[in-house]
Amino acid sequence: MTASHGVTSAVGARAATGRADEALIRVEDLWHTYMAGTPFAQAALRGVTMYVCPGEVVGVIGHTGSGKSTLIQYLNGLLRPSRGRVVVAGYEVGRSNSGIEAVRRLVGVAFQDPEDQVFEPLVGDDVAYGPRQLGLAVDELRARVRWAMEAVGLPFDAFKDRYTYTLSGGELRRTALAGVLAMRPRVLVLDEPTAGLDPVTRSDVRERLLTLCRRDGLTLVLVSHDMDEIAGLADRVYVLHAGAVVASGPPREVFARPDALAPYGLLPPYPTQVCMRLRARGIPVRGDALTIEEAGAAIAAALRATR
Amino acid sequence: MNEFELLRNITIGQYLPADSYLHRLDPRAKILAAILVIAAVTFTPSLVGNACLLAAALALVRVGRIPLAYALRGLVPAVPLLVLLAVMQLLFFGRNYDPTSSVVFQWRWLAVTIVVTAAVLKLVVVSAARFIELLLVTSVFTLSTKTTELTLGIESLLRPFRRLRVPAHELALVVTIAVRFVPTLALEAERLMKAQASRGGRFGGGRWHFVTRVRQLLPILVPLVTYALRRGEELIVAMEARAYTGGTGRTAYTVLASGPGDWLAVCIAAAFLAAMLLAPFPA
Repeated sequence: MTASHGVTSAVGARAATGRADEALIRVEDLWHTYMAGTPFAQAALRGVTMYVCPGEVVGVIGHTGSGKSTLIQYLNGLLRPSRGRVVVAGYEVGRSNSGIEAVRRLVGVAFQDPEDQVFEPLVGDDVAYGPRQLGLAVDELRARVRWAMEAVGLPFDAFKDRYTYTLSGGELRRTALAGVLAMRPRVLVLDEPTAGLDPVTRSDVRERLLTLCRRDGLTLVLVSHDMDEIAGLADRVYVLHAGAVVASGPPREVFARPDALAPYGLLPPYPTQVCMRLRARGIPVRGDALTIEEAGAAIAAALRATR
Repeated sequence: MNEFELLRNITIGQYLPADSYLHRLDPRAKILAAILVIAAVTFTPSLVGNACLLAAALALVRVGRIPLAYALRGLVPAVPLLVLLAVMQLLFFGRNYDPTSSVVFQWRWLAVTIVVTAAVLKLVVVSAARFIELLLVTSVFTLSTKTTELTLGIESLLRPFRRLRVPAHELALVVTIAVRFVPTLALEAERLMKAQASRGGRFGGGRWHFVTRVRQLLPILVPLVTYALRRGEELIVAMEARAYTGGTGRTAYTVLASGPGDWLAVCIAAAFLAAMLLAPFPA
C-alpha cells in the first residue's frame, strides 16, 4: 500500500532520490472526518501515508471525492491531525499554533481555481499580500513580487499596476499562483493548477513550474485527476481512492499495471494506452511510454525494427 | 479545533433528514407554530418563565429527533457576542435600568462608578436565555423543514394578503434563497480563509481580539461579496434559462395538505403562548 521504492527520476536528470528517511513532508496513517460530531459526519481520509522529498515532483491522483483536496490541506497545517501524524521539516503539526506560520511559509498551497481568492484591485498589491505580512523592507518586497510575477510569466512592469478585473482567466490564474510563490515556499502544492486553461497557457504554466523545480530547487506536489499531466511531470505518484492510497511509486511502475488501476475507475495516460493496445495486437512497442513524445519515439523505434 | 471549519457551527439553514412529527408537519402549521413560540420567548421577561421556555425549546429538539449536541453547536460562534453583551449590560446599565432595584455590587474608582443591581443581573440572565431559546427554536425549524416546503408554506400563508398587493411568491422566494445561501457562503468563506492563510494571511489571533479579527476579515469579505454577487447572477441566468417568470400561473410539484395533526401543533403553540402570557410567574 505505501511507497518505499527507490525512485528513478522521470523528468530530466534531476537529483531527486525520494527516500522516505530524508522526507520534507511526512504523513503517517492520517484519518479525517468532515463535520465530525454532527449528523453530517463523513470520512474523507482513511489512513493515508505518504512522503515528499526535497526537489521532487510528487503527483496525487484520484477521482473527485477521493480525498485529494482534504489531504493537501494537511500539508501546510490548515487542518490539524486528530488521528495520524503530519511532520513538515521536522516540525510535528499539532493543535498548538506555535510554529504553524513557519509551516505555512515553508509549504505554499494553491487550491482549485485559485483566482477566486484574488482580492486587491491591483495585480502587484495582490501578489504582495503574503510577503507584506512578513514585514519585509520595501526593496525586498518589490524584488520578491517581481521574481514571483516573472516566474509565472507576468512581466512585472507591464502587469504590476493592472487592475485585476481586467485580466483574462489565464492571467488571473498566474496572478494567484504568483501570490503563493511570493512567499518563497520550499514546497509548492497545487490543486489542478492547469484545469480550465487553454492548451497554450496550460503547457506554458506547466513548463514554468518545472523550471522553478529544476532551477530553484522548489519541491512540487501536484494534485490532479488528469493522468496525462501527472505522468509527464511527476517523479512519484500516489493514487487515492475513497480516502486511501491504493497505489504508489514512479508513474512508469504505477501505470504499467492498468489492471490494478481499473477497479478504481482510473485509466493510464492516453499515450500509454495507445502503446499497450499496439502491443496487444502483436506490434513490439515498448509499453512504458508516458508522454506523447515517448510514445512517438517508441512507435518509431518499433517501425524501424519491423522494416 | 479546526480553525477554519465554519460550517460545522452553523445550524441555521441546514436540513437534517429524519422521520419525526416535526419533519412531517405541514410547513404552514410549522411556520405559524414557530411564530407563536417565538412570540412567547419575546414576551416572557421572568426567570421562571424563561426556564420553562428553555425546557420547551429542548423538548422541541427532542421531538424533532435532532441530536442535542448538534443543535447547541450553533451557539459556539455566538459565544463572544453573548459575553460582550453581558459585559456591556453589567457595566453601563447601572441604576438607569429599574432604579428601585437593590444594589448587588458597587465599585468606585475616581469618577468611575460601576453599579450592578439585581434587576440588571436578571436582565443579563434573561437575555442570554432568550438568545439560546431563539437559536434552538429557529434551528429546529430549519433543520426539520426542506427549503421547498419553506417556500410553499410562506407563499401559501401570504396568499390571502395578495389583495393588499403583498408579493407572496416573490417574498417566499427571497426568504428561500437567503436561507439557502447561508451554508453556501459559509463554505466559500472557509475556502477563502484557507487560501489566504496559505499565502501568509493570519486569522484567529485569539477569540477576544475583536479589532484584529475584524481587520483580518477584509481579504475575506471583498472576494466573498464578489462571489455572492456572481452566484446571484448565475442564479438569475439559471432561473431564466428554465423559463422562470415569477409566481403567476405557477403550479407546485407538492401540494400542501394539512390534517388535524397539523392544526393540533398550532393549537398547542397558541395555548403555550397564552399560558406564558397569563401565568403568574414571580417577577
